[in-house]
Amino acid sequence: MKGKRKKEEKEKIIRAEDEWEPIGHTPMPHVTDLRNWDRRLLETYKPFYAPFCDLCCLCTYGKCDLTGTNRGACGIDISAQQGRIVTLACCMGMSAHAGHAAHIIDYLIEKHGEDYPIDLGDQVNVECPNIRTVLGLKPKTLRDLKTAVQYAAEQLVHVVSSTHTGQEGDAVDYESKALHISMLDHVCMEAADVAQIIGFKFPTSVADTPLVDMGWGSIDRKKPVILVVGHNPASSSEIIDYLRNKGLEDKVEVAGICCTALETTRYSNKAKVVGPLSRQLFFVRAGIADVIVADEQCIRTDLTDEASKVGSVVIASSDKACRGLEEVSDKPTDEVVKAMVDKGEHCLILDHEKAAEVAVEAALKIAPKRKKEEPIDEKKAIELAKACAACGSCTQVCPNLLPVGPAIQKLAEGDAEPFKQVFENCIGCGKCEEACPHGVPIFKLMQAVASWDTWKCRVGRGPVMDTEIRKVGAPIVLGTIPGVIALVGCSNFPNEIDEIAEMVDEFARRKYIVVLTGCSAMTVGMRKDKEGKTIYEKYPGDFDAGGVVNIGSCVSNAHITGAAMKIANIFANLPLRANYEVIADYVLNRVGAVGVAWGAMSQKAASIATGCNRLGIPVVLGPHSAKYRRLYLSRKEEGDWTVMDGRKKELVDTEEPSPEHLAIVTESKERAMVMIAKLCIRKNDTQPGRQIKLNHYIDLYKKFFGTLPDDLHHFVRTERDIPMFFKKEVKQFLQEKGWKPKPVLSLPTLIGTYETEVPVEATIR
Amino acid sequence: MPHPQHLVNILTGIKGAMEMKDATPLAKIIKKAERPLLVIGPRALEVEIEGRPFIEYLVDIAKAANIPICATAHTKKKLLELGMTPESTYDVVEIVNALKDAEWKGVKGEGCHDFVLFGGIRTDLGNQALSTLKHFAPHLKTMTLCKYYYPNANFSLPNYKKEEEWKALLEGLVAGLK
Repeated sequence: MKGKRKKEEKEKIIRAEDEWEPIGHTPMPHVTDLRNWDRRLLETYKPFYAPFCDLCCLCTYGKCDLTGTNRGACGIDISAQQGRIVTLACCMGMSAHAGHAAHIIDYLIEKHGEDYPIDLGDQVNVECPNIRTVLGLKPKTLRDLKTAVQYAAEQLVHVVSSTHTGQEGDAVDYESKALHISMLDHVCMEAADVAQIIGFKFPTSVADTPLVDMGWGSIDRKKPVILVVGHNPASSSEIIDYLRNKGLEDKVEVAGICCTALETTRYSNKAKVVGPLSRQLFFVRAGIADVIVADEQCIRTDLTDEASKVGSVVIASSDKACRGLEEVSDKPTDEVVKAMVDKGEHCLILDHEKAAEVAVEAALKIAPKRKKEEPIDEKKAIELAKACAACGSCTQVCPNLLPVGPAIQKLAEGDAEPFKQVFENCIGCGKCEEACPHGVPIFKLMQAVASWDTWKCRVGRGPVMDTEIRKVGAPIVLGTIPGVIALVGCSNFPNEIDEIAEMVDEFARRKYIVVLTGCSAMTVGMRKDKEGKTIYEKYPGDFDAGGVVNIGSCVSNAHITGAAMKIANIFANLPLRANYEVIADYVLNRVGAVGVAWGAMSQKAASIATGCNRLGIPVVLGPHSAKYRRLYLSRKEEGDWTVMDGRKKELVDTEEPSPEHLAIVTESKERAMVMIAKLCIRKNDTQPGRQIKLNHYIDLYKKFFGTLPDDLHHFVRTERDIPMFFKKEVKQFLQEKGWKPKPVLSLPTLIGTYETEVPVEATIR
Repeated sequence: MPHPQHLVNILTGIKGAMEMKDATPLAKIIKKAERPLLVIGPRALEVEIEGRPFIEYLVDIAKAANIPICATAHTKKKLLELGMTPESTYDVVEIVNALKDAEWKGVKGEGCHDFVLFGGIRTDLGNQALSTLKHFAPHLKTMTLCKYYYPNANFSLPNYKKEEEWKALLEGLVAGLK
C-alpha cells in the first residue's frame, strides 16, 4: 500500500521527527517494497526446488498432480507450488516468534508498564539493529517493541493471503514474500528477546556469563523436580520467583528442555539444562520430572500421554498449546493441586503466576508419593533386548536411518556399545518403539545404556556488544578474522553431538568467531575433550577470534543478524534507519558471516535461515534439510558475477562466485566444513584477508578431500591472494587451469546493478 | 489397489521408479546411454557388502563402462586412494542443479549427461535430489544402485533384505557392462 496517508502514518509510528539518523528509502516496508532487491539476489542465487510432494491438495479442485510440466486445476505449476509451500513454512515460523513476542511483551507490560525503558547496559547502544534497519524506528520502550511486532503481524496477513488459491502464481514472487516475512521474523525475535532481557534482567553487556550444569545426571532426583519445556520464559521465571520468595530454591530442582532451558538459566544459574529438543521424550519417559510445565513451540504433542504413563503431571501454560486440557486459571490453587496430586490430572493455566504456584506446590506434594524408577541395569537390559526378533521394523521407520535393530541384537548378545551409539545419534521421536511388534522397550533400553555424564553450558548472553563490534568490525570486513560462523537452531541430525562439537572446535581453533543459539548451543556442550573439558570450558565467550559465544535461545538469533548490521553501522558508519537494501548489500559483499543449521527441523528454522539470506548471509544446512524443498544456489561457472565498483561507479565482472550460494545442503560434516570456509569469502576481502581465508579453505579441502580445491582458481584474484604456505603448488595449479588475474574491488556493491531508488553513493560513508 | 473412476480423489503423487531386479536389462540400459555419469555419495564409504566397501563396487561399474564420476561430499579422497580420479567434485545438490540444465556441458565438457547413476547418497537426500531431476530434467534418466528403492528415480533397485542379492546384482552389472 502506497499513498500520502500511509506515508504520514509510517512517519508518525517511527517518529520521523527524531533525527538520530536520516530516514532511508524503505521505512516499514510493505510486501513488495524490497521486491527488486530479492529479484536481484535470486538472479544470482536461483531457487532450487526439490519437491517433497508432487501434489497440491490445498483446495477442492484437487488433488492435482503437478509432476513435471503438469499444472493444477487453478493453473499453478510445480515451481510456484514449492515457493508457495516455502512461503507458508516461513509464515508459520515467523508467526511462532511473533506470537511469542506479542505474548511476552504484553506480559511484561502488565508487570512493568508500557513505558518501561529499553536499557541493554553500558556496552550496547544500538539496542535493536533489526528494528532500526527494517522499520526505521529507534525503540525506547516496551510499547515500541509492541509497535514493531504489530507492524510485522500486519505484513503476515498480506503474505499468508498471497498463498490462497488464485493469488500469487510465480515462484520468484513467492520467494520474495518468503524473504520479506523472514526478514520480519528477525524483527519479531529481536523484539521478543530484548523485551525478555530488560523485563527479566537477563545478562546483557557481559561476555563471561556463568557456566551451568547440563544433562539429567546433574539433576538431584531426590528433590521434587519441575521440568519446563518450550520457549517462553514467563512461567519458568515465575517458578524461580516463587521458589525464591518461599526460600525453596535449593529444595526444588528446576530443569529445562529446549529454549526454555536456556531462558531459565539466564534467569537463575541454579536451573539445570536437561538438553536439546531431541532429549524430550527420553527425559519425560524417564519419569524424573514430577511436574512438567509446557509453554510454547517444540513441545511433543503426546506430552500428557507420556507424562501419565510415568506419573508426572503437566501444566500447559500457553494459549498456543492448550492440548485439550481444562482451564483452571480461576480455580483455587489448593483445589487444582489436589486434583493433580490425587488424580494425576493435567491442566491448563494461562496465568503464569498461578501456574508457578501450582507447579511448585504440586511438585512438593507429588514427589514424596512417587517411586521414581531407577534406570534398568545392564543385565536386565540384555534380557529385555532378547525379545527382539530381528524383523527390522524399528530400523525401517527411523527418520535418521539409524541401525536400531542391529544395535538391539548386539545388546542382546551382551555388547552395549552399538546401542550407545544409536542413543547418541537419536532424535528421540519414538517411532522405533512404536513400530516394534514384539514390545521391546527401546526407549528404556536407551536410558539404561545412556551415559550418566554431566556437562556444562554457558548461559546465553544476548546481543553482541557494540564495543566488541568496534574491535572486530575491521578485521571481519578486511578478512583477517576469516569469518563469523553461526551454528543455530535445532540439533535433530545424525551424530548431532559429535558433528556439531567437531565443527565448532575446528573453526574456533582456526580463530573464526563461532556463535551458537538454541538447541545447537546446548548440544555443543555435550562433548568433552581428552582433558574432560567441554567446548565452553575450552574457548572464551568473547565475540572475537577464537571465541565460542552462546548468544541465547531461538529468539536470540536476531542478535546474529543484528551483529552483522552493527558491523555496517558501527564500523562502516552506514545509517541503519529504514536502510535495509544498503545494509543487506553491505553484509552480502563485505561481512564474511555464514549460518549453519545442521539439524534444522522446524518451520522456524526455515524463516530464520531465509531471513539471513535476505540480509546476504549464506546458510549451510544438513542433509535431511533437502526436505525444506528449496535452496538458493548459484552456478559458479555460468553465473553473472558482475557488481558495481562503488568508487568508480562502473560495472565490473569480477568472475568471482563469492559468496557462492545463499542456501545449500551438504551431505557430511566434512563437506560442510569445507563449504563454510568457502562461503566466508567476500569480494571485499583485502589481500592479506583473502590469503587467510584461502589458507583455511585449502587446508580443510586437503584434509578431507586430499587435493587442492577444484575451484580454487575462481577465488584467487591476484597472485598476492595465494597463501604463502601453499604458494608453489597453487601457482602450478593456476597455470594448469589457464588462470588470469581478476579485478580487486574495494567497494563492491549490487546497488546500481538493478532497478532501485537507492543511489550508489548511499553505499559509501 | 484398484483405482476409482475419479483419480483426483486418490492420487498418491509419486511417479514411481521402475524396480530393477535383474542386472542384464540394467546393463543394456546403461550401455545405450551416450553420456552417462556416476554420482557417488558418502554412504558408499560407510556401507559394506559382505566385507567389501560399496564404493569399490561403484568404481568397478565406472571402470567397466568407462563412466565418468562425480564425487560428492568427501568421497573424493577415498576414490583417489582407490586409484580413481573423479572427473568432478560437487555437493549432490550442486551436481543436480547443473544436470537440470540441458545446455550444460557436463563433467567432461562434451555436453549434458543423458543418464545418471547414483550410489551412496543418503536415502532422504537422494530421493529429494531425484525429485528435482524428475520434475525439472526431462532430458535425462536416472538410476540408483543403493540397496533401497528410490521412487523418484526412473530405475531403482528394490529394497534388498539380503546382502547377497544386492551383491549378485552389482557383480552381474559389472560383468554385463564389460
